[in-house]
Amino acid sequence: MLTIFIYTFLSGILAVTFDLIFGFTGQLSMFHPAVFGLSAYVTHLLVLHARLPFWLATLPAAAAAVALAIVVGSICFKFRLKTFYFAVVTLAFAEMLRLIIVNWNSVTNGTLGLVVSGKPTIWWPGTGLVAIRGPVAWYYLTLAALGATVLICARVLASWMGRAFGAIRLNEDLARTLGINVFRYKLVSFAIGNALASFAGGLYGYYTGYIDPGYLSINQSMEVLAMVLLGGQGTLTGPVVGSFVLTALPHVIDLRAEARAILYGAILIFTILVMPRGVVGTLRAWRMRRAA
Amino acid sequence: MLSLVAGQVLNGAIVGSMYGIIALGITLTFGITGIVNFALGEFMMIGAYATFALAERGGLPYPVAVVPAALIAAAAGYVCNKAFFRFTRGNLVNGLLVSIGLISVFESAVLWYWSATPIEMHYVLPGALRLGDVSLPKMKLLVFAVIVVVIALTYAALAGTWLGRASFAYAQNAEAATLMGVHTERLVTAVMLYSTGLAGLGGALYASLYSLEPSLGGVYVLKGMEAAILGGIGSLMGSLWGGVILGVIEAVGSIFLPTAFRDAYGLAVLVAILLFRPAGLFGDES
Amino acid sequence: MAYAAGRVNGDRAGSLLAVRGVTKRFLGLVAVSDVSFTVARGEIVGIIGPNGSGKTTLLSVIAGMVPPSDGAVLWKGEAIHRLRPDVIAARGLVKTFQNPQVFAELSVFDNVLVASHLALKHARGGHRALTLVGIDGRAGRGLAERVRELLALCELTRAADQPAGNLSYGEEKMLGLAMALMCEPELLLLDEPASGLGHEEVDRLTAVLRRLHDTGTTLCIVDHKVGFLRGLAARVIALNYGRKVAEGRPDEVLNDPAVVEAYLGRAHA
Repeated sequence: MLTIFIYTFLSGILAVTFDLIFGFTGQLSMFHPAVFGLSAYVTHLLVLHARLPFWLATLPAAAAAVALAIVVGSICFKFRLKTFYFAVVTLAFAEMLRLIIVNWNSVTNGTLGLVVSGKPTIWWPGTGLVAIRGPVAWYYLTLAALGATVLICARVLASWMGRAFGAIRLNEDLARTLGINVFRYKLVSFAIGNALASFAGGLYGYYTGYIDPGYLSINQSMEVLAMVLLGGQGTLTGPVVGSFVLTALPHVIDLRAEARAILYGAILIFTILVMPRGVVGTLRAWRMRRAA
Repeated sequence: MLSLVAGQVLNGAIVGSMYGIIALGITLTFGITGIVNFALGEFMMIGAYATFALAERGGLPYPVAVVPAALIAAAAGYVCNKAFFRFTRGNLVNGLLVSIGLISVFESAVLWYWSATPIEMHYVLPGALRLGDVSLPKMKLLVFAVIVVVIALTYAALAGTWLGRASFAYAQNAEAATLMGVHTERLVTAVMLYSTGLAGLGGALYASLYSLEPSLGGVYVLKGMEAAILGGIGSLMGSLWGGVILGVIEAVGSIFLPTAFRDAYGLAVLVAILLFRPAGLFGDES
Repeated sequence: MAYAAGRVNGDRAGSLLAVRGVTKRFLGLVAVSDVSFTVARGEIVGIIGPNGSGKTTLLSVIAGMVPPSDGAVLWKGEAIHRLRPDVIAARGLVKTFQNPQVFAELSVFDNVLVASHLALKHARGGHRALTLVGIDGRAGRGLAERVRELLALCELTRAADQPAGNLSYGEEKMLGLAMALMCEPELLLLDEPASGLGHEEVDRLTAVLRRLHDTGTTLCIVDHKVGFLRGLAARVIALNYGRKVAEGRPDEVLNDPAVVEAYLGRAHA
């Protein structure tokens, strides 16, 4: 039972950070899984080869994620790519990264992936390095990670920067005439979203014990999209709700993998056509109408 | 060396023509309805598997199986249009997202029924032509010829006929086109039918050359999009050229650089084109 | 009008905005042809002309939305015609839209709040990043105050919580004005602010603009409602077919034969 929550929290980080870029700033990025996978590999490889403690290894991974996000983002936003083109270019970059990982056998073990056998260690004041062992410890760790992510996103979104993101999503040209540097804030949103998502990568690898190029695949992108759309884009709780539903679903309804994938696709389609605001969004709108 | 390059160029062009037929579907749909149909690759896959089913299981000779296979794909496209895309006309992002959902549905359904094991059709047209040092399988040449003819006919049809001009009018200004009496819903349905049918045809042709896997749709739609963007969205002949150029880049790139990164070469060129000439090589700069 | 060239911060007595020989061509059509004029700090300058005379295009060029084919635009002595619209707005030159541009999904209050981006930048500069971690709540409260002030000025207080998409045309235009004002402009470019407004609304608008002027904002108003401009502007420039055909006091310009011919010689909506 706890496993469902742990996975929910981990995917939730991905979903929330994706929503920051997509739901709040309006950019459909297919680059998200790339950072997720990259940080998983970097974190684990650093622990393995450089003998760094886990929590320390996440920092270079995050740095790599931010650096890459800035490069990709700068290219895309400088050239003012619109929706479809932005999605295709970010997809292209993600695919290129995936190909590099698949083919760099000596380091990444290619399509076979890496087996992660260690335990992540967290530095805790008083006790020093503590190994995360057992579902309860994982539960709290991932909950804390999700909580921190949501807190950071909430803070940013409530501020003037969040308002700038919203303006960019609603009407870029108008935002520009009001003095908002659209390029800069798209890039900032993209960088923050990707940076925070990178934290999920290392944790996920450790929890499942296995990292493979599938982390960076288009399917991963679709899962995240489905979670955000189902839960409610443009909200912070929505992606978590969506993450929970889609994570719990296979445990509740025992289906073979193909049937599950069909279900996901169907949910995605259903959500867009019937409930474009997702569960949380629709509930909120309903509540507001009742109050009016 | 030269013959190696020449051979690769020709091979690349032939593969590229298949990218081109998908690109044509994408460019038609996007150019006229504004919807990007990410699921187009799945219709190609449907056409391919349908051909297999009709020819291998149903006993139809391959050339006869091709047309019904394409029609099956078109029918599937019609259903999707009426059931789903019809509701996303105004909202392009939603249309895109719906098509992404469809990918999952189709690919998994086929995966379920046929499994991931690659399946192959029996040799359709054995034999090869020799051009100097280069040997080209006859079937590949036939596929290339068919695709080029289809695309050229499409171009001719759209440029010349009333339907074609109406399509362009709609693309320019949907409201005005409606006022002028162009029955827009029918037009959009027609475009959907045709583009998915084209994809199905591409799949049927693909089946004669390569082994089939449910994931081929995903690969080809990305290539098709690259080709469409490369050639210029909205340019019909451009989609053919874009496809061929992409195919050639991949093939030639594989000679000099690691084959493993074949897909990346096209992607890199695509990103470069998008940044420096977003209208594509043959697109409209306005 | 003498114009002081050079100093980056401009000269109190000199011009704020200098348009020099601006020409704009679109695919063979010349929308604006060799237009030059200056606006000094504290002035109200009007630009009139029949439809199609290039007024809106001229404003778009000045505000940085479109680059000129020829010529230059100088703000406080510095060339701005190659700068981005957001940079130009940050320097104090703000434009409103003829067809009001608002964020339809946001509330009226939020629309103006979003427009406070520049105000916050002016107030806090590089330190506004600190407000992200909650270090300066005062900035936020000050902004909300200012938003309410502007809403009151533009008579939108009652509609503050409504989505901007629900507003009437006149209210939307006032909202557009409020948003532009939130950007703390030194010079406000108004693109046909009175068009589509009823008599009462025009009077209200005139009152607001006069108050703005009294508090030090320079105004440059484009409109084809001659009566509206005559009551406000000290100096008027007339355009026809993209060229400047007259300049001077409102009465002079309106009686200028070239201007009369421009208006009578063409049917305009």
